[in-house]
Amino acid sequence: MSSPTIAAPIIAARGLTLRFGEDEAAVEVLRGIDLEVGAGETVALLGPSGSGKSSLMAVLSGLERASSGTLTIAGEDFARLSEDALARARRGRIGVVLQAFHLLPTMTALENVATPLELAGEARDATARAAAELTAVGLGHRLNHYPAQLSGGEQQRVAIARATVIAPAILFADEPTGNLDGATGGQIMDLLFSRAAQTGATLVVITHDPALATRCARVIELADGRIIADRAQ
Amino acid sequence: MTSAMRAPTLGWRQAWRFARRDLTRALRGLRLLLACLFLGTMALAAIGTLTGAIERELAGRGQAMLGGDIEASLYARDPAPDELAALKALGEVSGGARLQAMAVPLRDDSLAVPVELKAVDRAWPLYGKLTLQGGKPAAAPTGTTAWIAPGVADRLGIAPGDRFKLGAATLTAGGIIADEPDRLGEGFTLGPVVIVSREALALSELVQPGSMVRSKTRVRLPPGADASTAVASLKERFPEAGWELRDRSRATPGLERFVGRMGQFLVLVALAALAIAGIGIGNGVTSWLEGRRASIATLKVLGATSSDIVRIFGMQVALAALAGIAAGLIAGVLVTPLVGIALGALLPVAPGFVVDPPALVIAAAYGLLIAAIFAAPPLLRARDFPAMALMRARVSPLTLRWRALALPVGGGLAVLVALVLATAVQPLLSGGFLAGAAVLFGLLAGLGWGLRWIAARLPRPKRPLLRIALANLHRPGAQTGALVTALGFGLASFVLLAGVQTSLDANIASRVPQQAPDYFVLDLPPAKAASFTATVKAAAPSARVRTVPAMRGAILAYGPADKMIRVSELEAIPDGAWPLRGERGLTFSEGVPDGNVITAGKWWPENYTGPPLVSIDEDLAEAIDLKLGDRLTIGLLGVERSATIASFRRIDWDSMGFNYVLVFSPNAISDAPHSLAATISLDGPADKRALLAGLVRGFPATSVIEIGPVVSRARDILGQMGNAILAAASVAILAGLAVLIGAIAAARASRLYDNVILRVLGASRGQLLGLQLAEYGLLALILGTVALGLGSAAAWLVIVQLFEFEWLPDWSRILGVLGLGVATVLGFALAGSLPLLRARPAQALRDL
Repeated sequence: MSSPTIAAPIIAARGLTLRFGEDEAAVEVLRGIDLEVGAGETVALLGPSGSGKSSLMAVLSGLERASSGTLTIAGEDFARLSEDALARARRGRIGVVLQAFHLLPTMTALENVATPLELAGEARDATARAAAELTAVGLGHRLNHYPAQLSGGEQQRVAIARATVIAPAILFADEPTGNLDGATGGQIMDLLFSRAAQTGATLVVITHDPALATRCARVIELADGRIIADRAQ
Repeated sequence: MTSAMRAPTLGWRQAWRFARRDLTRALRGLRLLLACLFLGTMALAAIGTLTGAIERELAGRGQAMLGGDIEASLYARDPAPDELAALKALGEVSGGARLQAMAVPLRDDSLAVPVELKAVDRAWPLYGKLTLQGGKPAAAPTGTTAWIAPGVADRLGIAPGDRFKLGAATLTAGGIIADEPDRLGEGFTLGPVVIVSREALALSELVQPGSMVRSKTRVRLPPGADASTAVASLKERFPEAGWELRDRSRATPGLERFVGRMGQFLVLVALAALAIAGIGIGNGVTSWLEGRRASIATLKVLGATSSDIVRIFGMQVALAALAGIAAGLIAGVLVTPLVGIALGALLPVAPGFVVDPPALVIAAAYGLLIAAIFAAPPLLRARDFPAMALMRARVSPLTLRWRALALPVGGGLAVLVALVLATAVQPLLSGGFLAGAAVLFGLLAGLGWGLRWIAARLPRPKRPLLRIALANLHRPGAQTGALVTALGFGLASFVLLAGVQTSLDANIASRVPQQAPDYFVLDLPPAKAASFTATVKAAAPSARVRTVPAMRGAILAYGPADKMIRVSELEAIPDGAWPLRGERGLTFSEGVPDGNVITAGKWWPENYTGPPLVSIDEDLAEAIDLKLGDRLTIGLLGVERSATIASFRRIDWDSMGFNYVLVFSPNAISDAPHSLAATISLDGPADKRALLAGLVRGFPATSVIEIGPVVSRARDILGQMGNAILAAASVAILAGLAVLIGAIAAARASRLYDNVILRVLGASRGQLLGLQLAEYGLLALILGTVALGLGSAAAWLVIVQLFEFEWLPDWSRILGVLGLGVATVLGFALAGSLPLLRARPAQALRDL
């Protein structure tokens, strides 16, 4: 299934495949993905476990290199970039929120959020911007707390602040509420959507929860490494 | 968005900000690296400091220890007038003589004590001061006054003011020596010293033609004069004088050589410890970085490049390494006095707290190099941790890019080898050690690979726990390689130590006392040989007496008749050719000496009258490339004599009998004035007091040396050498244990996963413990066997090649020690498993 054509896509993928292992033991996780996403869109990647949605997000966010196909993200040809070049390309372009938060345990909330700015060479006002971002996600009173001193919901708020502090062009969220209870999960999703809207970021959310997917303007369904449905809501 | 390309790599300051945030945890996680570097650097710092302190002490006190700026030593004669004039032209001269003698108290002539007689003139000592007990300074003795060593006073039972006899002279003990300024420069002596005037020596009538007496003439040069130039000009002017010339920079060449070599050996042992520690460093950094996988991946998700990762984590490793090295250096300085005490009488000086910057810099450099070499591979591997690791529970092990290792590992190894060789006293030995260590590493690495390969191909056991134990040896991420190297080194060190220790013990305890005679007697006139034997038999009926002709001479030239090499023209004495240095004992004999074996050529027939022949020690022949039929020229009492080399012999030096490197055919040198040397083996009950008294009365000009005290001193020295080796090697063992603990800890993560799953499936703790036992037991069994072979080979090298002793290991003790080592391994492995067994499955499952 091919995706609708968009005039100036921020994500443009053609024939993406992802394969692990070799020869007889090879597993094809993505089997020819064609996809275009416009700037500012909110997209849900929906599908059962093993459908390839996390792998697709990994490839789109530059965490994994596609085995074949072309991929342009925010004007950058990701298919040609090395691992390190992908890391550099993510800076300022892509924010990632993960299900298990993955905060750096030895850093305070403030330091965690300042990290992507510092890595991008914007250390001078990193602390102030990080503090402002944490305040924006409602954690102005937890700046100097370590991850272990925060609740699950608070940790995910820090993770969202860390992803949005760089004002990314695209914000990826992989099952962001998977480790949270329903009420907290709802608050987190509200926050995610509002921060994406405030920063003008394209939001790509991975979920297997159809209810959550309904909050997005567009839903892409995957099964067995292929897009089986792509609809606007 | 524009900022993305602005900072391709973090600057050092930025990287340091990240590194600093993780520091407390990093130092805790890198405890293995800290411990390993601490141990290795401490050993190197202590040994370097100690050796440096002794060498500087020897060099700094060169004049006092030598008793002058230059010393000319001659056997059986004083310097000739022209030689003396040349010495006097250089500066103030002090002359004297050394020989063995017997001291007898005047009140009881049944008591006799062998002593070293040191006759000095009034100019003695040219440097330093003689101090008597009570702190009284004294000059050279005059007339019949003698300064006596405490040992003489004790054994003769005399005090200052008492009189005693030396040969024909009656002397008065003027005082007991507290500090003799040139004691160290006199070398290894065979009895306590008595210092007398030259007049007293003449009165004693102990110096007869052929006596084993050595003259020593020392020169005090004017300030600013160059001693080595003066020695060189003396050698050039009197090339055949046969004197042994030393200057103040080589006041104690034997001692310097010994200290240098012992220091070198200990440095090599410490380097072995550091090499073992290196494995621990590698394992420690690997497991620490494994624990940081999530953080590294997260940093990558946030835009960190692989260079950023190396900088951030490299800085933490470097800081931990510096902390370990600094602590090691401080501890090394602090333990130096303790090492000094452990080595005791082996050392000429007892160093207190010494800070020796060069030694500390070298120790730190070794520590840094080892840290760099072993920490680089895991650090370089960590830079390839993919960001994707956050999304997949387990990522297959990363392959190492060998090219990236070229600089840190290859370069580090090259600098390490260069540093070892540049600072080596014996570069050949050090080179051999490095090659041996490399081979051992290679063997163990090969063994680790082989074990994994075999384990992967063995039929799968039916019992599930055994199946898992076997799978643990070869599955991806298995610690088999690290464990094999750590255990292999650790257990081989156990075997090495036990082999060395038991062989040393056996050499000391069993061989020396059984074979050594009880007395050596020098300067026995040939005509009195029969009455000498009768005197001995009267006091000791079952004694065995053996006499050989004895004289001294120096090798002047050697080689093929048409192109002989003059020793005086050699730039350096070849390795192993120590008999070329100065004068040596010579003898002649009709038959092959006892305990000697002809290895090439033929012995001369009885009553041989042909051209003069000589038989030579095979080791010397090899060292200076002598062939049968070559010529050898010696200087004998100022006369050159040449002989043709007829045979080579193997000498049993351990027998402590008369062993001569050069044995001539009687017709070659028997016409030269000579005395006899005798050994007395009591072999039964004997009245030793009557024996010594009888010898003094009947043969006043002879010198008697008691072997008992010499052997016991040698035994002490060997014992202390053993202690030194044990002390240095125990650091290696401690490092090995640290490595073992580290390897077990590193394997714990995968064990936790397995244990939790097995517990969920119903395995009991006992079964899990059995699983650990089966896995480590299998490894320990294989490695114990390998270690027995490797450790024994290394111990053989140390005993036979380095110390030149006989290989006499006590296998039961070695196997016992090895068993203890294996038990320790299993104990640590099981102790390391206990926290895994205590883990609550439900909680652990959530964390997996």
